[in-house]
Amino acid sequence: MIIRPEFLLLVLAFGLTSLACRIGGFWVMSFVTITPRLEAALKATPIAVMVGIVTPAAARGNPVELFALAVIGVIMRLMKNDLIAAVAGIAVIAIGRKLQLAS
Amino acid sequence: MTDRTLNSAPPFTLAGMRRGVVASQPLAVGVFVYGAAFGLLAREALLSLSEALLMSGIVYSGSAQLVAVSSMGQGTLPTGTAALAVLATILLLNARYILYGAALRSWLGQLPAHQAYPTLAVLGDGNWILSMKAAAEGENDAGFVFGSGLAMFVPWFGGTWLGSSAGALIAQPAAIGLDFMLVAFSAAMACGMFKGRSDLRIIAAAAMTALVTERLFSGGMAILAAGLAGAVVAWADFKAEQAQ
Repeated sequence: MIIRPEFLLLVLAFGLTSLACRIGGFWVMSFVTITPRLEAALKATPIAVMVGIVTPAAARGNPVELFALAVIGVIMRLMKNDLIAAVAGIAVIAIGRKLQLAS
Repeated sequence: MTDRTLNSAPPFTLAGMRRGVVASQPLAVGVFVYGAAFGLLAREALLSLSEALLMSGIVYSGSAQLVAVSSMGQGTLPTGTAALAVLATILLLNARYILYGAALRSWLGQLPAHQAYPTLAVLGDGNWILSMKAAAEGENDAGFVFGSGLAMFVPWFGGTWLGSSAGALIAQPAAIGLDFMLVAFSAAMACGMFKGRSDLRIIAAAAMTALVTERLFSGGMAILAAGLAGAVVAWADFKAEQAQ
């Protein structure tokens, strides 16, 4: 159990900052009336956030990752099962990277 | 989303928590790998195992912890303005949680504080996305959000422990595609949540904003900016949508 006191202080400060972000938006919204329009805006955030996670990975332009994303899209169209689609995408990455290393 | 009458708290049950725990398991592998990556860097920055685990427990944010340990190279801790700079970076990296919490307000807003705040304290990217998707499919039990968030602590600690104590044992998680986990799930779920043309403008705005932001900043900023862009477009489009 080696924990430096000044390390503990830093971690507490970092942790409080993270916690403030986690509860801050929720807390602030308690003072805001959620109109249907605002509700619509907030409801749009999940898909936008997902796009925000996927786009930078796609934009790196690595062919293996692009192919994996295409496979995910096709499987979702055909089977509508996100677990199968995601696992298939990861399998494509694993195989593709192995082949890239081999070539 | 199911109707939630004002002033009535959503259920917060063990069954809901269990559903959250189960639903989040596919994401656990990715979280474990991320935790191991942090553990490795923590080891290189000469953090003790206890320190690495303490940071994973208290900060509980991959991107923030990676920035924090990179400021602690070779056992020297940042002080003064250097520490403040790290703090500011963490604030920016985690600013997306502000948006996540705001979006959860209509679901969790009527929960008693002793249920709402612990639920928010364990919030992460994966469990928020899972929860919003579940809500869109009719999930009403706030236990789902708590369960799926809490469950991610197990692989997070496990990964931190392995990376910090036995760094060299982890071969190359990237080689088997595990670093791609959150991207793959986000892509799949975005396809699943896509409801038609009205979403196209939101997606286009989010994608373009993410591209620009990614070039200017790193990490979580692109996610936050994309989320905000989507919200702004939905806000602007609202009237047209209502007329349908």
